[in-house]
Amino acid sequence: MDILLSSIVAGLLLGMVLAIVALGLTIIFGVMDIVNFAHGEFLMIGMYTGLLTAQATGIDPLWTLPFAAIVGFLMGILCYIGFVKFLLRGPMIAQLLGTFGLMLLLRNLALLIFGSEDRALHHGILVGRSFDIGMGVILPATKLAAAGFSVVAFWGVWLLMHRTKIGKALRATALNAQGARYMGIPTERMNALAWGIGCGTVCIAGALIVNFWSVSPFIGLLFTMIAFAIVALGGFGSVPGAFFAGLVVGMITEIPGFWDFLTYTLDWDWMANVPMTSFKYMWVYLAYFLIMVFRPRGLFGWKQ
Amino acid sequence: METIKNAFDFSDFPRIDLSIAGVVLVYLLSFPALQLSSFAMVTMIQFLMFSLYGMGWNTIGGYGGQVDLGKAQYVGIGAYTTAVMLIRWDIPFWVSMPIGMCLAVGWSFIIGYPLFRLKGHYFAIATIATSLVLKDLFEVWDFVGAARGLEISPIKYHPPDFLRLIFKDDVYYYYVILVFFLIGIFYINWFRKSRLGYQLRCIKDNEDVARSLGINVHLAKVKTYAIATAFVSVVGSFHACYIKNIEPEDTMSLPISILIALMAMLGGAGSLWGPIIGAGILIPLKSYLKEWLGATAGLVGIDLILYAIIIMLVSAFEPRGIWGIVEKMRRRRRT
Repeated sequence: MDILLSSIVAGLLLGMVLAIVALGLTIIFGVMDIVNFAHGEFLMIGMYTGLLTAQATGIDPLWTLPFAAIVGFLMGILCYIGFVKFLLRGPMIAQLLGTFGLMLLLRNLALLIFGSEDRALHHGILVGRSFDIGMGVILPATKLAAAGFSVVAFWGVWLLMHRTKIGKALRATALNAQGARYMGIPTERMNALAWGIGCGTVCIAGALIVNFWSVSPFIGLLFTMIAFAIVALGGFGSVPGAFFAGLVVGMITEIPGFWDFLTYTLDWDWMANVPMTSFKYMWVYLAYFLIMVFRPRGLFGWKQ
Repeated sequence: METIKNAFDFSDFPRIDLSIAGVVLVYLLSFPALQLSSFAMVTMIQFLMFSLYGMGWNTIGGYGGQVDLGKAQYVGIGAYTTAVMLIRWDIPFWVSMPIGMCLAVGWSFIIGYPLFRLKGHYFAIATIATSLVLKDLFEVWDFVGAARGLEISPIKYHPPDFLRLIFKDDVYYYYVILVFFLIGIFYINWFRKSRLGYQLRCIKDNEDVARSLGINVHLAKVKTYAIATAFVSVVGSFHACYIKNIEPEDTMSLPISILIALMAMLGGAGSLWGPIIGAGILIPLKSYLKEWLGATAGLVGIDLILYAIIIMLVSAFEPRGIWGIVEKMRRRRRT
């Protein structure tokens, strides 16, 4: 029972963190129909930003969040104005390969600058602390804080999208860019803003994740694929969808834990011999595949 | 008879194209006689392999307009079939290659059938997902060596072994892949003028129109996907015999899939020469950059940075590739 409960809790916590990773992707996709392969790379940049500012200035890694957000926002806008704007004119394959090129560029620049070794944070208010709430469930403080911030960020983005004029303009651009342009909405600026918000939120996610996950230049692709799965499940372009799908995908990554639980309760020997942890992320890809085949619209999606 | 005539009929190309192609062909045939360095030889074999991959991708991605970013899984299936059969049961290449092809095509039907209900981005990302699932499976599957991969030790055989394709000298490999390359060109030349080829181009331009003309869109896509897969898996089998050491990481990873798509797109997707031009530019660039910059200066990844910049420039400013530029210039001259 302990295993089951702690697996569920760990899955939910990780799910909330993964949801905020996917938030930026779903905003960018929703507003301009472009799949951003470089998404995980922005996460990596956020992680390095958090790590290096914390190490250079000596402040706690948690207070580097605003800085990471600003860096991400500026980088997103820069990428849009300098590169993505040109991609939007071309066919779909050019967009796919173009953002893939961006991913390759960012990853290898990071490799050149930071080197290939894993780096992790060792100091901080939260690092290494945890709460034991009984029943064998242990909550690591870093993940708890990350999950909390994720909920706050989602709330903020939802308010921005649904309660402000800028949000209305963003949603109008997403629904029909041409129509929005006729109504006097500067769609170019809205696209740039969507990239800014998207990359800003993912950099925040990076600065949160670096508290409990070591960073290397190659970490991006894994998160990109997880974010794709979340966005597909939640529905491309849906903000609340991303949150709930994040929770589901968080649970999916805990399948090895559930497997252990079944192994202990049923006490079947063959189950213990399956190398379940090596399949950890395969379930995410598989879930993605199944969602795409059976319900391409996702749970909350309105774009097909 | 008609089919064979069509395959060898290049008369719809301008004469200048054909003369350039002829010069290139003579160069390719006489390349080993030039006695260049073994590094040049390796690069050349890589070039031929990747043009074949690109040609395969071009059928579905170029003529059909369905962006497939999961071709590496079929490279893996072809390579693993050949390697496993050779190591475990001593089955020669010429038997295991068709078997690998059948396996890959069968797998392509299994995943292609549901996948082609999707369009555009959704299809592209779903192909990536299937490729990654397969790679993860191969990384834990002990029968095929898990993450360590398989190694064909050439000591057991007596090179040159034409049945098992085990050679000491790269020249043999070069001519084997060159023959495949020529067959590939003739096949694609036939394909682009075949019924399926015309159907595909119609689907690419407008799917609804294609459907209203009575084309079975889904079946045409699945069939073409299988053709593309067959190309890729044959080269994958060759890869196993040539490299002799295969791991999931370097046969099935995402960069391979992307590279395959990139070759065709840089040269010009949807044209016969496109993938060959693309591979002819990218492969030498890649290996020489790696040789000069990566090894000498100790700058890790700088070759990939230049590579990424090329990808970004091409996709942002000339998505139709080099062949697109050539055609644009020709059209301008004509008017």
